[in-house]
Amino acid sequence: MMVARGMKRKLYGSDNGGGSVWESQLQSVLDISLDKFQRDQALVEPSLLRSVLITNTLRQVQSVVKTHLSGVSFHPKLHTQPKKQPELLSTLGSIPAGHSASLCSLGVEDMEDDLMAWPSEEDLSLATAITGILNDLDAALDDDCGLSVPQRLPLASMENLPGDGRSKQNSTISHKTDGCRASILGNSSHMSNYLQEAVIDDLLLDIDTNVFEAEANSVSPCAFSFPADQLVKYLPPFSNSSAVSLTPASPPMVR
Amino acid sequence: MAGVGGGNDFQWCFSQVKGAIDEDVAEADIISTVEFNYSGELLATGDKGGRVVIFQREQESKNRPLSRGEYNVYSTFQSHEPEFDYLKSLEIEEKINKIRWLPQQNAAHFLLSTNDKTIKLWKISERDKRAEGYNLKDEDGRLRDPFRITTLRVPVLMPMDLMVEASPRRIFANAHTYHINSISVNSDHETYLSADDLRINLWHLEITDRSFNIVDIKPANMEELTEVITAAECHPHQCNVFVYSSSKGTIRLCDMRAAALCDRHSKFFEEPEDPSSRSFFSEIISSISDVKFSHSGRYMMTRDYLSVKVWDLNMENRPVETYQVHEYLRSKLCSLYENDCIFDKFECCWNGSDSAIMTGSYNNFFRMFDRNTRRDITLEASRENSKPRAMLKPRKVCTGGKRKKDEISVDSLDFNKKILHTAWHPKENVIAVAVSILVSGLFSFIIIVIIIIIISHTW
Repeated sequence: MMVARGMKRKLYGSDNGGGSVWESQLQSVLDISLDKFQRDQALVEPSLLRSVLITNTLRQVQSVVKTHLSGVSFHPKLHTQPKKQPELLSTLGSIPAGHSASLCSLGVEDMEDDLMAWPSEEDLSLATAITGILNDLDAALDDDCGLSVPQRLPLASMENLPGDGRSKQNSTISHKTDGCRASILGNSSHMSNYLQEAVIDDLLLDIDTNVFEAEANSVSPCAFSFPADQLVKYLPPFSNSSAVSLTPASPPMVR
Repeated sequence: MAGVGGGNDFQWCFSQVKGAIDEDVAEADIISTVEFNYSGELLATGDKGGRVVIFQREQESKNRPLSRGEYNVYSTFQSHEPEFDYLKSLEIEEKINKIRWLPQQNAAHFLLSTNDKTIKLWKISERDKRAEGYNLKDEDGRLRDPFRITTLRVPVLMPMDLMVEASPRRIFANAHTYHINSISVNSDHETYLSADDLRINLWHLEITDRSFNIVDIKPANMEELTEVITAAECHPHQCNVFVYSSSKGTIRLCDMRAAALCDRHSKFFEEPEDPSSRSFFSEIISSISDVKFSHSGRYMMTRDYLSVKVWDLNMENRPVETYQVHEYLRSKLCSLYENDCIFDKFECCWNGSDSAIMTGSYNNFFRMFDRNTRRDITLEASRENSKPRAMLKPRKVCTGGKRKKDEISVDSLDFNKKILHTAWHPKENVIAVAVSILVSGLFSFIIIVIIIIIISHTW
């Protein structure tokens, strides 16, 4: 199976052969899709066909992960469900990301001894992390970030969240889910709790956090280091009309 | 079986390479569309810089009976200029997305060319005579004093060097919010349709300030959008019928007599998915990049990422023929997704008799399929092999195991060299393929390929 170029390949346990390859492909598709989704958001006018195809792929990945977590075997190599955990899984699948944090930490500890018919602790937390991100992404997609004329909100800043030991990673996650949405601001507190528990290293391997340092350190959305004419696009909708009237015609955007 | 009628079989060879030479090529020279006119005498190309170049075939001369007419530049004009949409702060590219010829009705030629937002009707006419001997002005154009004129004369038409003029006759603008991907002239020769991602409009060639919206798939809530229109075409004989394809691999045939707004299709063509080959990329590779009716009007052909399918208009549940273009790429879909190649939009075309179809691939390969014999051939359009009348050697891609001599392995394919735009002469076996190679020095050229009949030749 093809692993995307540039992705680090994990050395999984030998009894997890098939499942890990599938999960690594799942992660590849997720990472690539999110990267494209983000890049397209940065464009002034993303191609609608491309946006729709990438969004549909992300939704597909999301539904696969949800199916996986709810205990239904998607991959042929993942066979019997462990007897202990079905309730936990179905709960994880249905509860929004905010509440899954504490359950996730419980689940991880309980399952340390049960590796046979169950994905490894690493895999589960990876999958849980994916779910959390996808749920937030779902909120982002539902608010239609990319499919209408761009009306972008400022990227969320995470400096007011509790547990700021991970603030850098928090902001990275939020950027990853394209925090152009007001809903992201609402979810951010949930994310910080859950991130403290989940293993997210796998997901963050390829993110260049230097890019996001500006956002992480900014005090307010207006303090981005964008040129003024680009900044206009990032103003929230209620001030958009006045902002447009004040702005001189922007130079042509490079596509 | 071997070719019909005395074992004739076809061998393809190069005819010409037209286009910019290496060092002079800029990104604006990249050819974005190729189209023969109805007689095949003219070949139009559009490029990324908004220019249209028309080639005309030389008449066959008695001196060189064996050489088919070559195509030479007939006219060049700037069709579209870059524009700026001040309301949305967006630049509108001047790249020509499609050119479609109108059937010829008099000495002049007409074509429609379109970029993302505006369609233009161009008239290309020849002028080879000039009137001389005006009464009111001198030969150099200065006006004469009317009181000084003592005699009248009738101006005489004198021959002059042939001049080909292109003038815009109609501009059809402001009807598309999204990017135009297709235009198609109707068989009534009076109307045409234009399609963007979400809507299809019907125009009358004489009327520029109005068009009818005949298909609109824009949802009330854009968040619910999961499918866009990728191509549309009018039926070649029935002026009330057209089809449009979608990003989910479906084709809808609509009848304009049924309703003013053809949101409800008359026929719905979709092949059920093969569950064993399902992957994350199934939807993306099922997206149809081109749809073309056969000349007979009985069939239509669709191109998705890995295959070409021929559909019988009377059978909606599956295609009648499926041809694999480059099935060896199926295991590479993740990489192709990462480097964006999976979004490439390949065109396809029929030959004049509908017995063969052609489409492009990577590494400057193009593929031809004979529908009767079920044979296929892969040829390479390469500038290096472009001696006139040089025979094109069939190419083969090695999919695994030991690579034979002359085969090329999948990993050696150059995905920057892709043939997206192709056209087949409506009457003869002459093909034009547009080759673009995206390297540090950009290339762009078209190659015209001609046929030679070889008796009793087997592939």
